[in-house]
Amino acid sequence: MSILSKILKKKQKQRKDDNYRQQQDPQKPEDLPILRDYKENISRIKGEFGNSNDIVIREFIHSKHRGALVYVDGLADSRVISDFILESFNENEIVADEIDYFQFMIEKAVALGSNKVIYNWNQVYDSMLSGDTVIFLDGYNKGISGETKGWEKRAITEPSTQLSIRGPKDSFTETLRTNTALIRRRIKSPNLWIESMKIGTVSQTDIAIMYIKGIANEKIVAEVKERLNRINIDSILGSGYIEQLIEDQAWTTFPTTYHSERPDVVSSQLLEGRIAIIVDGTPFVLTAPAIFIQFFQAADDYYSRFDISTGVRLLRILAFIIAILGPALYIAGTTFHQEMIPTTMAIAIAAQRENVPFPAFVEALIMEVTFEILREAGLRLPRAVGQAVSIVGALVIGQAAVQAGIVSPVMVIVVSITAIANFSTPVFAMAIAARLIRFVLMGMATVLGFYGIMLGLMFMSIHLCSLRSFGIPYMMPIAPFNLRNQQDVFVRFPLWAMKYRPMFISKGNVIRSGENQKPGPPKQGDDTQTPKGES
Amino acid sequence: MEKAKIKASQMFILVVLFEMGSAILVGLGVQAKQDAWISVLLGLAGGLILFLIYYRLFKYYPDIPLTSYVQKITGKWIGRPLGLLYIVYFIYCATRVLRDFGELLTTTIYTSTPLIVINSLMILTIIYGIHKGFEVIARVGELYFSVIYFMAFVGIILIFVSGLIHIEYLQPVFEYGWRPVVNTFLKQTITFPFGEMVVFTMLLPFLNDSKKVKIACMGGMILAGINVAITAAINVATLGPELFSRSNFPLLTTIGKIQLANFIERLDVLFMLYLVIGGFFKISLFFYAAVAGTADLFKFKNHQNLSFPIGFIILCASITIASNYAEHMKEGLEVVPIYLNWPFQIIIPTILLIIAFFRNRKKKTSTS
Repeated sequence: MSILSKILKKKQKQRKDDNYRQQQDPQKPEDLPILRDYKENISRIKGEFGNSNDIVIREFIHSKHRGALVYVDGLADSRVISDFILESFNENEIVADEIDYFQFMIEKAVALGSNKVIYNWNQVYDSMLSGDTVIFLDGYNKGISGETKGWEKRAITEPSTQLSIRGPKDSFTETLRTNTALIRRRIKSPNLWIESMKIGTVSQTDIAIMYIKGIANEKIVAEVKERLNRINIDSILGSGYIEQLIEDQAWTTFPTTYHSERPDVVSSQLLEGRIAIIVDGTPFVLTAPAIFIQFFQAADDYYSRFDISTGVRLLRILAFIIAILGPALYIAGTTFHQEMIPTTMAIAIAAQRENVPFPAFVEALIMEVTFEILREAGLRLPRAVGQAVSIVGALVIGQAAVQAGIVSPVMVIVVSITAIANFSTPVFAMAIAARLIRFVLMGMATVLGFYGIMLGLMFMSIHLCSLRSFGIPYMMPIAPFNLRNQQDVFVRFPLWAMKYRPMFISKGNVIRSGENQKPGPPKQGDDTQTPKGES
Repeated sequence: MEKAKIKASQMFILVVLFEMGSAILVGLGVQAKQDAWISVLLGLAGGLILFLIYYRLFKYYPDIPLTSYVQKITGKWIGRPLGLLYIVYFIYCATRVLRDFGELLTTTIYTSTPLIVINSLMILTIIYGIHKGFEVIARVGELYFSVIYFMAFVGIILIFVSGLIHIEYLQPVFEYGWRPVVNTFLKQTITFPFGEMVVFTMLLPFLNDSKKVKIACMGGMILAGINVAITAAINVATLGPELFSRSNFPLLTTIGKIQLANFIERLDVLFMLYLVIGGFFKISLFFYAAVAGTADLFKFKNHQNLSFPIGFIILCASITIASNYAEHMKEGLEVVPIYLNWPFQIIIPTILLIIAFFRNRKKKTSTS
């Protein structure tokens, strides 16, 4: 390295530091203490919030003591406030002088689930903005924060993107507490630990990290925490933000963290030693580390019998391959390797393509792009217009397009199969990766036929093998190969034979079930089947 | 040097893929006619003995690659140029395989595509792999190992079911005496593919358990050798000794003969799949050995920076190495084995081993 570049780097670093300081200073946490005069406190709040009208300040006099309670309308449950705080003030009882009024308030008057004493402004804003009520008392340089959280929340509904047939029908909501409760209800163990933090210098979003102590790998837990702590951004508006900021590899189309809106799926991941990251305001919970094959495991795989779920899983993998290769194989077959296609079929395809003015690649590209547009439009359309689009769409990639002589019927079939195959991937993030790769492979097939496709796949495999998720190789039980962990890869072993947790994730505590779990008929000589008295 | 560590099973797979790589594609031991498979097995035996030489050298210096211990054995003044020569040799081998590979595609399927297009796309993929490091290459190997075996299985079943096998083509054994067999063995099969294990002198230090070197590598060689011998035998049994010895790519001809129920025919794609996978690993390992050697010899901290320039050299050389395929083949069959493979694979390592033996004995006696 030359001296010049060293100097440049140093300068860059300095500039970065300056920027950092500039950004940080105005938002420096308020460490100022609460003042004794409650009026001053109130005016400070008014000043800070710029008289926003959802800040409710209610002054009161109770047994010769003055005070005020402050909460944010809409975040705090006003019924709880009036029932449990204001009610107790109206009793006109006189607090004896020898009793410390502050202590009295905490212990008797504010009859809420949890109260805590707060001392500085940082805590005041924190509790106000998370829906709690802050009580200032005249003459005390501390305040009370009472838990009155209660904003409008969405009820727990059926999952909308990850459906299952035999599994539970609940899904996560936008509220962090509800989500942690949904998981706790499934894993009733004190070893299920939750650690919380706030990320986002402006948004101050609540984040919870959940893992099972003793199963999760401590190193990965520490790594997750470190990466979360490193995040310095103004806001976190969804778990997607977190996902993009803690990945191992930024330059990849493949998702390296898993996300789910199903509490049962997240619970099973936790039980395998993974770590869940719950972000307030998002019904999708992240889990890490993630491996490639995980994106082909659906919840139903574990609720139905193993032979069926194995078959279905293989089908899903096949569908993924079709979704990636479909149009590319068509292009390669029709332009480079006609001899590969059985003669009669080749003639049929050639006859159909006779009227088509475009080369196969353009034909495929037109259809694929049209389909992608339709799909994207379908996502955003108002419900009322949806039907119109599906009719128009059916015309565009259907009979009409063929009759107009723009595409051949075989192409329509290829596009449709590819599209349907793409929808069978259980996790959207993986399906969307397949969409992107499909276009690259189409290009490769146009240039060099099967050889191009093969090189593209080779490139993809190198990329997949080089990925890591929190230090765990992405293709884990396949490459590097691990015989003992093949229980849940291509073949889903019967539950009684799945004795181990994935060893590469939870190092150490890997035994999942006891010996001899295989069910069977009663042993001979046991008379459980014939009722007594008959024999 | 890169700080990679791979498992014994990964090393095993790499050895198998490397050895089978292009040996299955080109007609190995065609001069021995129907006894090609015997000369392959002889080559395997010779290769195993050669590997024992490399293994002994590795035993003396378990933590450093060939380019480093060459300097320790012969001193800096002879060792460094010798190491450099080895790097050039590895680059040359990679070049030859890339040319083989490109020629195969241009003469059979992509008759109107220029060689440079095919070669440059291949080398780009390989550069990407090298850039990602040795561990990743080993993992990709694991991924494709099962794919290759699946294809081989399907292929063999199809050949048998199509009724192409004529055992009588393999007889009589030793029709022309033992002379052509031994001749092929010495001139070809011992050095290609089995002597090429010399590449692994650069790669053995990456194995995480040095006790398993012998079983991983020799096991891999034996498996690969048997596979190549079976392929040779199937080729002869399908094509007959005459067509077998005349064909440039006997396996492609054999696969082309598969015809089943008027539906499964012209399975050239299976062949091409294998070609890309096998070619990838063969070139990658030679390439990686050259990169690792250069990084070691010239004290590069980051081997990744070397992957592009050396890749570019390989690409350019693969185009200019010969003016046409006939010339390329003649070089490969007559010049390379005797003037390059024998010295680099057999003579130099043997001399190195002898010197190392005396040096280490001296050391031992002086310490005890």
